[in-house]
Amino acid sequence: MALVSSAAGRYSADAAPPWARDLIAALKASGVTNIVTVPDSVFGPALAVAEADPDIRLTAVNREEEAVGVLCGLYLGGQRGAMVIQSSGLGNTLNALGSLALVGRFPFPIVVALRGELGEWNPAQFSMGRAVPGCLDALRIRHHTISHLEDVTPVVQGAATTCFHMEEPIGILLSAQLTGSRVRGEG
Amino acid sequence: MIDRREATKVVVELAGDNPIVGSIGNPNTDLGAFDRPRNYYVSAMGMASSVGLGVAIARPNQRVIVLDGDGAIFMNLSSLATEGTVGVRNLVHVIWDNSRLEITGGQPTPTARGADLAGIAKASGFANAVTVETLEDFRAAFARAMSGSDLWAIVARINPGNARREADLRLGFVQMRDRFVASFG
Repeated sequence: MALVSSAAGRYSADAAPPWARDLIAALKASGVTNIVTVPDSVFGPALAVAEADPDIRLTAVNREEEAVGVLCGLYLGGQRGAMVIQSSGLGNTLNALGSLALVGRFPFPIVVALRGELGEWNPAQFSMGRAVPGCLDALRIRHHTISHLEDVTPVVQGAATTCFHMEEPIGILLSAQLTGSRVRGEG
Repeated sequence: MIDRREATKVVVELAGDNPIVGSIGNPNTDLGAFDRPRNYYVSAMGMASSVGLGVAIARPNQRVIVLDGDGAIFMNLSSLATEGTVGVRNLVHVIWDNSRLEITGGQPTPTARGADLAGIAKASGFANAVTVETLEDFRAAFARAMSGSDLWAIVARINPGNARREADLRLGFVQMRDRFVASFG
C-alpha cells in the first residue's frame, strides 16, 4: 500500500499561483507558524507552499471543528496559527468557535475559500458557501473578502494583525474571482 | 471500577509540571479540585483532545495529558485518528469511561453497547492503548505513560455518578488562558 507522505497531496509549491504564495507569505509575516487545515482543492497549492516552508508547520486534521481546538491549544502553548478551510467546512466549526475560541478569546485567522459563487458547478456548495458571511456575522466574528491579487498581502496582514491584537478570530474570505472558478472534476 | 476523583488525584500527583487539558463536565469538575496554572478546562464538548494536540505540537518537550470523557470523545472521534497519525508522540490521552452521558441524565454511550475505545485508539495509531478497571492498574498505566516517549491512550472504567462540586473556581476563561500561557515563562 502506497502511503501519501505530503499533507498537500498532489499539489506542488513550484506551480502555486501568486495569490497562494502571497497568502502564505502574509500569514508568515504576521507571526503565524502553523497552518491547520482540512485540505481543499482550492487551497491545494497554498498548502504545498506552506509545507515547503521550513518555518511553517502544516497540520491536516480530519474535520474543521478539530482545527478550532488545535489552534486554541497552539495558542495556549505559545504559538500562532491560522485555519485554512473551504466554505462548507466553516459549518463544521460553529459550536467550537462559539463555545471555545470566542469565550476564551483565542486569536487566529480563519481563511475560507468561498464556493457557491462565481462559476460554481456543484449544487451542494451553494447554500453553505453563501451562508459563510452570515454565520460569521451571527457569531460576531469580523471578516474581510478578498477578490483581487493586489489585496491579498495588505488585507491578510491587516486582518491578522487586528486578530492577534484584539485577541479574537477573524475571517478572511477568498472569492473565486481571486482563486479561480472551479472546473468540474477538480473537486 | 475506579473513582474518577481519586484517579484525577493520581494524575495530578504524577503529572509533574506537565500540562493537563480537561474536558467540559465531570472531568473538569474533578480536575478543578486540584487546580494549578498548567490546567486548562476546555469549555466545548469534544474539544479537549484537539486542544491537547495543539498544546503538544507547540510544546514538544512536555508530555501533555488530556482528561476526556467517553461521551466527549465520541463527539470528536476523528480527533483520535488525527492524534494517532499526525506525528506527535508527547500525548497521554486519558478517557474516563462510565458508558454514560452523566450530566445529561445517564444516557448510554456506545461503550455501554460494546464499543471498545482502547481498540479504536489502537487502530487509530496509538502505540499504546489500554483499558484499566482498578485504581492500582490506572496508577501503573499512567506512570508508564508519563515516563514513556510515545502516544498513550488509557481508558479508565469509572463508577457512574456526577462529580462533587465543592467550590467553583471563579476563574475567568481569559484569566485561565493567560495563566496557562504564562506558566511556560
